[in-house]
Amino acid sequence: MSDIAEICSLEALLTATVSDYSPQMVALNNPGMTDEADCIARAQRSDAKAFESLYRMHIDKVYGICLRMTGNVAEAEDCAQDAFIQAWNKLDRFRGDSAFATWLHRIAVNSVLGRMRKSKRERDRIQLATATSVSPASVADTGELRDLSDAVDRLPEGARHVFVLFAVYGYSHVEASDMLGIAPGTSKAQLHRARRLLAQQLGKEGFEV
Amino acid sequence: MNDINRDDELIAAASTLATEISPEQDLWPGIAAAIARPQGSRWTPMFVQAAAVILLIGASSSLTYLATKDRVQVVEFVPTGLVFEQASFGNHYALGVEYQEAHGDLAAQLDEELARLSPEAREDVELNLAMIRGAISQINEALQKEPDNALLQDLLLRTYHEELALMQRVGGLTQHVMSRKDI
Repeated sequence: MSDIAEICSLEALLTATVSDYSPQMVALNNPGMTDEADCIARAQRSDAKAFESLYRMHIDKVYGICLRMTGNVAEAEDCAQDAFIQAWNKLDRFRGDSAFATWLHRIAVNSVLGRMRKSKRERDRIQLATATSVSPASVADTGELRDLSDAVDRLPEGARHVFVLFAVYGYSHVEASDMLGIAPGTSKAQLHRARRLLAQQLGKEGFEV
Repeated sequence: MNDINRDDELIAAASTLATEISPEQDLWPGIAAAIARPQGSRWTPMFVQAAAVILLIGASSSLTYLATKDRVQVVEFVPTGLVFEQASFGNHYALGVEYQEAHGDLAAQLDEELARLSPEAREDVELNLAMIRGAISQINEALQKEPDNALLQDLLLRTYHEELALMQRVGGLTQHVMSRKDI
């Protein structure tokens, strides 16, 4: 076989490989997405095993936002558990308009807000946090970020919720305000308040930002 | 460092905080136990209330129809205290001005209030409103055939009450209270 023929043959093989197997390659490149979509579909048909898989995939994200918002391990565990129970009950309403993780985040935020409205433990939590000055969420962070995490945890409830959603999780003011049931302007005002309070706290503690 | 840079760096630093944190214990057993129970929790109190209204309306309308369809003339004893209120309905009932104003005010603000709710809550409220409005429509149809039926009039009044009450619960915006004379 001449060099040119060999090159053409190789090109043909490469072309055939790409065109024939590209769908499979896409699937292999996103195995998590395929698994998640499959689990959602099966969980929507009341398959508890599939829902457990979804729980395993997303528990760290859901618990993370619950812990950041409540600043309390026991509350965060209750909220995360409640969020998954609510998600199970509302699964038939999930139509994939947003990512499943985003949908779960919304439910988790609602769970946190609902629990805080129901109980008066928030005040106790702030007192406890002030007394101990240790943020349970900060164990997940390293170095100077622990100081920031502690400072975020000491913020007043409204400012903390907005700061966590906007600065930590990257939601826009419109998204954060929608999740928290407040006006976008209020969200901006709470962020400004959070920044001012954090700057005061971190300045006192010598945190370099 | 100026405040803007400091703020930007604060947000940048915050964005590097851990967003995924593992709970100290596995929460699945509690979730599994909860979802294994029969799902009664999907029925919110509001939904149950609306469903009860529909059931009441359906049952009452059927009973009324069965009780009155073969009657040529109905002679009823009416307590004196109710005469004025019944007269306020008349043969050709119409919604009173106060009710229409209250309803108009609430309806105008309802969309704004709904936009503040979570998608799930909004869906629940809209579903409940649709059910109540469907019931109102059915009672109005029945009343066109029997305009003097006091039971249907009363049901209509109570259903309008339900609609206003639901709208008020969503917004809590109005203090208008509908009276029997408003219809």
